[in-house]
Amino acid sequence: MSQRKTQDFGLRTIAGLGLVLYVTFIVVPVFMSLRSSFTDQNPLKSASSFVGLANYREMWQDEELRASVLYTLALAFGVTLAANALGLALALLLNGTGRSYRALRTIAFLPQVVSGIIVGFVWKTILTHDGLLNDVLVSTGVVSAPVDWLGTPGMARLSVGVVVAWVLSGFTTVVYLAALQHIPRELYDSGAIDGAGPVQRFRLITWPMVAPATTISVTISLITVLKLYDIIAVLTAGGPSYATQSTAQYIVKMAFTSDRFGYASAVAMFLLLASAVIALSVTSALRRREIDL
Amino acid sequence: MSNERATRYTNRLRLLAAAVVILVFVSPIYVTIVNAFKSEDDIRANPAAPPLHPTLANLTTAINRPDELLQAGLRNSLIVVACSIVLLIPLTSIFSLYVSRRRTRARAALLALLAAGLMIPPQVVLLPTIQILTAAGLDHSYPGLILSNVAGGYFSFGVFVYTGFMRSVPDEIIEAARLDGASGLRIWWSIVMPLVRPATATVAIFLSLWIWNDFLNPLFILGPLTGQTITTGLYLSVGQYQTSFGQLFGIMFLAGVIPVAGYLFMQKHFVAGLTQGSSK
Repeated sequence: MSQRKTQDFGLRTIAGLGLVLYVTFIVVPVFMSLRSSFTDQNPLKSASSFVGLANYREMWQDEELRASVLYTLALAFGVTLAANALGLALALLLNGTGRSYRALRTIAFLPQVVSGIIVGFVWKTILTHDGLLNDVLVSTGVVSAPVDWLGTPGMARLSVGVVVAWVLSGFTTVVYLAALQHIPRELYDSGAIDGAGPVQRFRLITWPMVAPATTISVTISLITVLKLYDIIAVLTAGGPSYATQSTAQYIVKMAFTSDRFGYASAVAMFLLLASAVIALSVTSALRRREIDL
Repeated sequence: MSNERATRYTNRLRLLAAAVVILVFVSPIYVTIVNAFKSEDDIRANPAAPPLHPTLANLTTAINRPDELLQAGLRNSLIVVACSIVLLIPLTSIFSLYVSRRRTRARAALLALLAAGLMIPPQVVLLPTIQILTAAGLDHSYPGLILSNVAGGYFSFGVFVYTGFMRSVPDEIIEAARLDGASGLRIWWSIVMPLVRPATATVAIFLSLWIWNDFLNPLFILGPLTGQTITTGLYLSVGQYQTSFGQLFGIMFLAGVIPVAGYLFMQKHFVAGLTQGSSK
């Protein structure tokens, strides 16, 4: 026994170091944020004092925060739905054999490979008021005047959703494709013998067989949107006014632009709790569904 | 016979439909590539057209920028990615080896603790992370950024991939090596690592991509004076003054070409990694 301990000394030390680092940079910061959320901590002041629940009470009255929460929720659920529907559709279309299909599958993942910053700049060039999309639409006569894709609150909210759904679809497509390729051919053959049409085959074979992929794909889509920062930062910077500001962005703005560490921490605690509740409840609901199907 | 021909016909039609849909889907990427090689007038005339009068002017302008945006950004990103991965691979694999040989309950508790790291929005831990780094004298520095990469949610991802693979390493091999007097680290390096090579590929590929594309941490942990990674450099420099479409596409093309080339080169491992991830 003691010989084993000496044998494992190096292994234990490094494993322990990993755990210590993780606790230092993930677990401890969460508790530091929690503590800070009950204070008026501000980098411009030397000392901070406890203010009880004042930050949380202020959050309740904060119109800008409320708008960001509503937009983040709408974006999370809307984008997740769109990216999973599009991902499954593209996966069904790309689920063929041969080199051509393999090449197309490789291309479909590309939106996931480039950074959100590049995605943001490219789409901004396309969508901005005198951008490429308006150039094409006006010159072909589809619209008579340029459309302000990023300039009005409603359009900007929708445009951000389209871009984020586009990025995530690269990922969902590959996840659904992996699941489709594991469905045994015999299931479809026997379905065809029993006289099931394409719609029935999808409903009775494909849909239940991709259920585990749906769980993963939906969960990761939701988490990704809830912490989204870079694409919005480039595309709209949260504007016009704060129409497309996500809660994640509002936290960063409160912390680094307004220097209100305490308040930013309180909002961060709210985002943490909301993300945990949403991710865990949706995942467990989808897991239960996997068994029912 | 005619039935066979009809099948072949529908198959071809289906492939054509798939190709058209995928081309529309990746049209923003297509637009970036073709317009990086076109003059401003050609871009304005028809952004969807291929470069009929190809020019390298956009790319040379991007490379010859006085602020060396691309050279500095790519170099700094490469340093951050390489250092983070070189530390993360041994750290996560050794941790996973240790954890996967523990009792079920201890293992479940540790993995639950690590699962939180995958879910916590980085904005929640960013401010305290900077305070911790400041206390350690590592704020606004590359070691600080690398340390926060190694210790954060990326650590969780690595451990989850590795523990999935460690389960398939038979206990007997490890016990036999132990009886021969091999140390834990010796077993890790000579026996376990060769057996979990696909896991190492998955961890290295995905973490490289994510750390390369990371934006929030480098923006605030490095700060404005320490130099920029490719993402923060683009964010801070492009669009400060009016940039022409041609120049913008030239910059974006050069900034994106490394991860895309890496992906195309490694794409078999990419798909394998995602497939393993989604079937677990």
